[in-house]
Amino acid sequence: MRTRNLFAVAALLAAGTAGAANEFDHCLLCHGANANGNYGIRAPKLSGMEPWYLTRQLQYFAAGIRGTPAEDIAGHEMGPVGLRAKNEGKLEAAVAFIGKLDSKRPAPTLSGDVAHGKKLYATCVSCHGAKGEGNPTLAAPALAARSDWYLVQQLVNYQKGLRGADERDTYGAPMRAIATTLPDEKAITDVVAYINTLK
Amino acid sequence: MNRAVSRRDFLHWAGAVGGSTAVFRAAVGLGILPVIANARPQLATLAKPKKVLILGAGISGLTSAYELSAKGYDVQILEASFRAGGRNMTVRHGSRIDETGFPQVCNFDDDPDLYFNCGPARIPGHHQALLNYCKELEVELEPFINDNRNAWVQDDLMYGGKPIRAREYLNDSRGFVAELLAKSVKKDDLTGPMTAADWERLREYIRQFGDLDPQFKYIGTSRSGVANLDYVNPEILKKPLSPSELLKSKFMLIMSFGETDDQAAMMMEPVGGMDRVVSGFMRKVGHLVQFESQVQAIKVLNKGVEVTYRRDGAYVKARADYVLNCIPMHLLAGIEHNFPKEYAAGFTEIPRGKLFKIGFQMKERFWEREGIYGGISWTLQDIQQLWYPAHGINRKKGVILGAYTFDQVAGEKFARLAPAERFKLAIAQGEKIHPGYGGYVETGVSVAWHQMNHMLGCAAQWEEPLYKQWFKTLQTPVGNHWLMGDQVSYHPGWQEGAIASAHHALSEIDARERAAVAA
Repeated sequence: MRTRNLFAVAALLAAGTAGAANEFDHCLLCHGANANGNYGIRAPKLSGMEPWYLTRQLQYFAAGIRGTPAEDIAGHEMGPVGLRAKNEGKLEAAVAFIGKLDSKRPAPTLSGDVAHGKKLYATCVSCHGAKGEGNPTLAAPALAARSDWYLVQQLVNYQKGLRGADERDTYGAPMRAIATTLPDEKAITDVVAYINTLK
Repeated sequence: MNRAVSRRDFLHWAGAVGGSTAVFRAAVGLGILPVIANARPQLATLAKPKKVLILGAGISGLTSAYELSAKGYDVQILEASFRAGGRNMTVRHGSRIDETGFPQVCNFDDDPDLYFNCGPARIPGHHQALLNYCKELEVELEPFINDNRNAWVQDDLMYGGKPIRAREYLNDSRGFVAELLAKSVKKDDLTGPMTAADWERLREYIRQFGDLDPQFKYIGTSRSGVANLDYVNPEILKKPLSPSELLKSKFMLIMSFGETDDQAAMMMEPVGGMDRVVSGFMRKVGHLVQFESQVQAIKVLNKGVEVTYRRDGAYVKARADYVLNCIPMHLLAGIEHNFPKEYAAGFTEIPRGKLFKIGFQMKERFWEREGIYGGISWTLQDIQQLWYPAHGINRKKGVILGAYTFDQVAGEKFARLAPAERFKLAIAQGEKIHPGYGGYVETGVSVAWHQMNHMLGCAAQWEEPLYKQWFKTLQTPVGNHWLMGDQVSYHPGWQEGAIASAHHALSEIDARERAAVAA
C-alpha cells in the first residue's frame, strides 16, 4: 500500500518539529506528499535531493538566477517562494525539512530507446556518475530516482536558455553547453529513459 | 499591450459553454425541453450515525456538512487553510492573503463598504440553489451592477487607444449593421415560407434593432447618449462613431458579455461581501471544521476510507464511512492514494485556471463624477476589466477592481511580479481609461489564484473534449470516496456548480443509505 512509508516517518516528524510545526507544509502543497513531486502543477520531486543542491537552487530562485524568464512557467512560480524563504531566514530550515521526508522512487512517466539513451549518457557520466549518483565536488546533482518529466523539462530549459543562461549561474553554464549537444526531443527522451533505469 | 482574444477566451469570459450544451440550451429556450433545475436532495434521517469526512471547507464542502449534519451524519471537515470558504474569499481591513511566495495583508480602511471579493462576486437570479441557501442562512442580498452602458471601452487598436462609452460602441455598431442589413435584404430574395408581410415585419425589426430613421438610415441614436444634457434645449444626437474604427477592436468578442445567461441583469451580491455566504454556513457548521489540516494520503478501504493529514507537523489518521473530497484535482495528483490508475490519470488532465485580480482602495469615487455607478469598463490590455462598486454609492472612498484577467498568459504575467510591481502595471493600464487614475490609489490587494496557498489554481479549465473523456470517470465515486466541488460540475467557477456537485454526491450517499435500510 502506497501509504505505508508515510506512517513510518510520522512519529519522527512529530517529535522533531514543535512550534510553528506546519510552516513548511506549503512545500508539500506544491511538491506533493513527502515532496515526491506533483506533475499536476509541474512541481518536481524534492525529497532525496542533496541538501547542498536544494540550498543552491533556493538561493538561485531568491536571486532571480533561476525562474525569471516568462517562458519558464513552473520556475517563476517557485521564484517568489525562494525569495520568501531567504528573506525570512528559513532557507536552511526548509532544506532540513525536505531532508526528513520519506523519499520514494517515482514511477516512470515516459518511455524511450534505452539503448540509445545509454550511448548518449556517456557524456553525462564524468559529472553525474555512471549510476546517476551525482558528484558534489563537481556540483553535479544525482539524476537517478528523480521526476523524469522534470529532467526532460530541465534539459529543454537549458537548451532554450531558460536555465543556465544567467551569467551568475557558473554551475549551470557547462550544463547548458552539454544540453545543447542533444540534437532533438527524441534524444532527450531516450537519455532520460536510460536515467530511469539507474539505481 | 494588446492581445488577441480567441473565441475560447470569450466563452470563458462570458462564463458560457459552447457545443452541445449551447444547442441544448437553445432547445430549452424554444420550449422543446423543460428547464431542469438542480434539485436539493431530501436526505433520509439516519437511525445510526455514519461518519463523513469532508476534505475542504469551500462552498461544496460547507453545503455538504450543512445538509448531512442535519440528518444524523457525524461530519468533520478537514480544511488545509487557516480560513473557510475556498475561493469564496472577501478581503477587508486586516485580512491575510496567503499567497505562497507573496503573502499580503489587506490595508483597506476599516469600513463596511471597503472590501474586495477575490473570488466569486456576483449571483444571477437563476442560481436558485445558492440563492435558497442565502435565504435560509439569512444572507442579505443587494443588486449587483454587471453591465453599465456608461462605462468605458478601451482598445489601443481603436481610436488611438482613447476610451469610448460602452453605449456608443454597442449602439453605433448595431446601427451600422442594421442599416447594412436593411439595404441588403430585398423583398425578392425572400423565398419559401417568407411572405411580403414577413419582409415588412423584418424590415421593421431591423429598424428597431438599430434605431434607424424612416429611410432605414442610421443617423445616430440617443441610445448612444446625447451630446447635450442641459434639458432646456433640443436634444442633439452624437455623431455616430466610425464603423471602421469600431470594427478594429476585438471588443466585439466581449460586447455580449452582459447578455449571457450567467452575466445578464439582474445580478446580486451579498451585502458586505461574498464571504457572508461562508459566514452563513459557518454559523451552522463551523464547529465541524478543523483548520490547518493538510491531507497527505487517501486510502479507499473495502469499507470506508482512510485519510492521513498533517497537523502541527504530525501525521494524523482518520477513518470514515464516506469521504467527500473537494481538494483541487491538480493538488490531489501530488498526494498519496490508492485510486485506480484510470481515475487518478484525470487529475493531471484538466488544466488549472490562472485567473488574477487586483483591488484598489481609491481615496475618491472619481468614476461617479463620470456618470459611472457600478458596472464594468473593458479594455483589451492585460487588466481586461475595471469594476466599480455598486454599494456605497456617493460615499467618499470605494474599492475598485483594477484587474481581472481570464487569460492564462496575462495571469502568469501579473503573478510573477511582486505585488508593488503588479499595482504599477495595473495603474499604468488603468490610466488609459481614467487619466489620473493612479493618483487616487491608496492601497491595493492582488490575488494570483494559481499561487494561492492550498489552491494553486482557479476554476478547472474544462473544455468539451475533456468533459467527454474525463467527467463521468471523475464524477463516479471510488468505493465510498467522491470527488466534489465546482471542478466536478458543468459550471466550474461558479458557486452554483460547487453546490450542484455536492447535491449530486449527497443524493448518491442517500441512495446507498436508503438501500441499506431497505435491505
